[in-house]
Amino acid sequence: MKARYRQALVALGAAALLAVPLVVSDRYVLKVLTFVGVNSIIVVGLALLFGFAGQVSLGHAAFFGIGAYASAYLAGTLRMPWPASLAGAVAVAALAGWAVAMPSLRLKGHYLAMATLGFNEIMSVVFIEAKAVTGGIDGMGNVPFPSLGALELRTPATLYLLVWGVALLVIAAAANVVRRKPGRAMRALHATEPGAAASGVNVAAVKVQTFALSAALAGLAGALYAHTVGFISPSTFGLDLSILLMASVVLGGRESLAGPLAAMAVFTLLPYAGALVPGVSRVAAETIQDWVPDLVGLTVVVVLIVKSRRGGLTRPSGTTTDAGDVR
Amino acid sequence: MSRVRARFGAALVVAAVLAGALGGCGAKQGGGTEGGQADKEPYRIGAVVSLTGTYAGLGVPEKKAIELQRDAVNASGGINGHPVEVIFEDDATDPAKAAAAATKLIDQDGVLAIIGATGTAQTMAMRSEVQRAGVPQVSMAGGSVITDQLDPMVFQTPWPNRIVVPFVLKAIAGKGLAKVALISDSGGYGKDGHAIIAKEAPAAGITIVADETFNPGDTDMSSQLTKIRAAKPDAVLMWNAGKEAALIAKGMKQLGMTQPLFGGPGNGRKEFIQGAGDGAEGFRFAAGKILVPSAYGTDTEAYRVATEFIDSYTQKYGEPPDIFAGHAYDAFLIVVDALKRVEGEPTPAKLRDAIEQTKGLVGVGGTFSYSPTDHNGLTESELVLYRVENGAWVLDTQ
Amino acid sequence: MSGADALQFVASGLQNGAIYALMALGFTLVFASTGIINFAQGEFFMLGGMLVAAGVAAGVPLGACVIGAVAMTAAIGCLVERLALRPARSAGGLALVIITIGCSMLIKSGARHLFGPDERAVPPFTAGQPLRVAGALIDPQALWVIGLAVAAAAALTAVYRFTKVGLAMRACSISHDAARIVGIDTARVVMLAFGLAGALGALAGAAVAPVTQTAYDVGARMGLKGFAAALLGGLGDPVGAIVGGFALGLLESGAVAFVSGTYKDAVALVVLLAVLVLRPQGIVGRHLGEKL
Repeated sequence: MKARYRQALVALGAAALLAVPLVVSDRYVLKVLTFVGVNSIIVVGLALLFGFAGQVSLGHAAFFGIGAYASAYLAGTLRMPWPASLAGAVAVAALAGWAVAMPSLRLKGHYLAMATLGFNEIMSVVFIEAKAVTGGIDGMGNVPFPSLGALELRTPATLYLLVWGVALLVIAAAANVVRRKPGRAMRALHATEPGAAASGVNVAAVKVQTFALSAALAGLAGALYAHTVGFISPSTFGLDLSILLMASVVLGGRESLAGPLAAMAVFTLLPYAGALVPGVSRVAAETIQDWVPDLVGLTVVVVLIVKSRRGGLTRPSGTTTDAGDVR
Repeated sequence: MSRVRARFGAALVVAAVLAGALGGCGAKQGGGTEGGQADKEPYRIGAVVSLTGTYAGLGVPEKKAIELQRDAVNASGGINGHPVEVIFEDDATDPAKAAAAATKLIDQDGVLAIIGATGTAQTMAMRSEVQRAGVPQVSMAGGSVITDQLDPMVFQTPWPNRIVVPFVLKAIAGKGLAKVALISDSGGYGKDGHAIIAKEAPAAGITIVADETFNPGDTDMSSQLTKIRAAKPDAVLMWNAGKEAALIAKGMKQLGMTQPLFGGPGNGRKEFIQGAGDGAEGFRFAAGKILVPSAYGTDTEAYRVATEFIDSYTQKYGEPPDIFAGHAYDAFLIVVDALKRVEGEPTPAKLRDAIEQTKGLVGVGGTFSYSPTDHNGLTESELVLYRVENGAWVLDTQ
Repeated sequence: MSGADALQFVASGLQNGAIYALMALGFTLVFASTGIINFAQGEFFMLGGMLVAAGVAAGVPLGACVIGAVAMTAAIGCLVERLALRPARSAGGLALVIITIGCSMLIKSGARHLFGPDERAVPPFTAGQPLRVAGALIDPQALWVIGLAVAAAAALTAVYRFTKVGLAMRACSISHDAARIVGIDTARVVMLAFGLAGALGALAGAAVAPVTQTAYDVGARMGLKGFAAALLGGLGDPVGAIVGGFALGLLESGAVAFVSGTYKDAVALVVLLAVLVLRPQGIVGRHLGEKL
């Protein structure tokens, strides 16, 4: 009964998201909501990686950037058709994820965090210095709009539908994956590695595959971002974004997709709150913009404290909680 | 149990946010322009500035300068009886936010023109939006790329490197210094300058004997300067726009390097002199005449405009305006001047044409004359060489 | 390259290395007692410099400013632990790390509201000409930086080794439960670790501000360097933190000398990643930290 109720709710939510362009004509609102869609795709990948497989990554903004630059270069500079450039970008990002994951197999916890963080910093230098491909520090403009043959998607409404269409497919696929065998393997890994190995899970393979899949999703998001915004530059793909993404996933809770998605949506929309919420005066809107980092920081701290008090925040399912906590 | 509840809660949050978003746009669309019947409708201008993030130190004085001039214009009766309304957006030094801000200003607020952005990448990120909507943009960023890749919609107020670099190289060569060591940052402004310096040096009779770089935010230059010292240059030229300049000036002194040090407009900040202390003495740099307006000649219109701006800014904010405040002043002035010349009800298209027809407009950074092929409108004659003496800028007339 | 130039590179590496070592010590103290990485460590560094700059601007004598900044930041470190981390203690692991990230956002943004976005200058601790050592010129402030780092490291090592508090801290680094059983107030030890981390970060920030100037946004970068140095030396080991700090400083200086200033950070990171993969316990560290 409950499961069916939830399914209906999710389907209703998806339909509502896709119906937004029917009721909203404001290009700005559509654009901001498109950002949320793009970030959803990265967060789903990171939720699989961390929330289910227990692997940390502070380098996902770099994979996002790799996808963005790869697709922009293939479609913009090499004039490849858009679907091919999109596929190429996903492949390049997956390959990069695989290349990072292989040597990092021995690392875990803080060491993996440092390795991925270092990778992000190195890629930031690459994005700036590889001027022939990336356009350097000034960025890369005139990235072509997505197109299929003669059909070109260039209005905010169609771009919104494209991004959210892909995002919903990704979310649905991920929800499916975590319920089946691969998801069980990931979770087993998370709970205890030797245990997972003993029950026949190829630990190394699952880790590398999950990492590559997660990087590929970030790359997909990057490719969509490049073609919908039309301009990319290195500062977008820095450590700040990686940290915010990781914070969303931790805030959203383990073994959950909805939680990280909700947290990310809040973080993405917060800087635009003044323009999105009705009745906010201009002074208030400017004040909100000025205090966004404080609001994000405070939200992170307070939500995590409250959730930890209620128990079961980041514990693998099955572990006991402190006495008095109600699960 | 709790998991299901948490998910339901999460879904509620998303729903609430979406509802807010939808409601918000509905309200805005209905709103139109507020304000009484007595006054004429205000002219709306958007401004995208970096108030947080890396360029906050530049964007904050820019906003102050625009607010000051907006109040001055409105106090004197507005433009043809219309008050000016400026809507500020903070891009947090993020190109994506700058692009979104442009969309908001154009579609939600219906602005006639956009001033901004503070940085070059942010300015470039807004390009496709202003092109689509046909709204003119006046940038306060100094990157050459902004007006080198000419866009009918985009104008620029600072002196770009393609004008400043040859001027500085000529000044160095004029002092009989031929072997120059270059140190530049890997940020946009430093890279842009570096490329132009490398190209223009031979023509000016200058040999680059050392070429060192650093990253914005670096806190130690002594390794780079040690390499420069070993190359035995006649002079050192630094090209950057950030706080690292003080480290270079100070580091040279610590390493016992006595060569003259030269730089560009990005170094004309009081923080540089405070940070470098003794090391700043004798430093020479090229910039517009805003720092010492008497360079215009005290009987000129430019002198009057510059001193008036400096005085009113100092009076209101308790400190003199820096170069970036000057660029913002000029950007606002250019828009206001063009608005005055528009015939009939102004539209973005009419305003764009009026801006392009700007001729001999005296600002604080120079006298602007735009044309269909020149959207920067400044020449080398707007520049002078400054020297730091006793902790202050003086004209370098030697 | 002449001998004097080589020495100059070494001097520069040592000055930066001393700062990295102080930062790495801050990371290591917190890690040893809690098993988490404190991402607010960089903001402690920023607070050290900014509070001194603000104090000097208000006319307070420099020495008092430095002591005051270190004490205030230590108090802020304790507050971070008490108000943000202790209430969420049961969450453990990465949630606590993310809380420190939230705290770092609050501290950084708070500093911007309070002090504004511009960089600030701080006068040197002692005036004077650079010293000439075998052809290399060394700034007096560089000696202050290196001297303070060495003194702080020595004092901390002494406390760690020879005092009851140090014993308690070491016990906590092995097992909180066991420490509690033998009567150690582990909560106070953790708070003390955060206070000391705050003091070390602020000391580094105050000592180097006369050389580099300071601003509200210098923390993240220095935090990254300190984290890297701590891992390079071996996380959780005070000697490793010091070795890692100086190693990173010299490595960067060498990267500028032999490669280029642009790739300095990238070269240092590549070496760090290579060390992590080949010897995950760091240069000095003995055990592999598998907490989290």
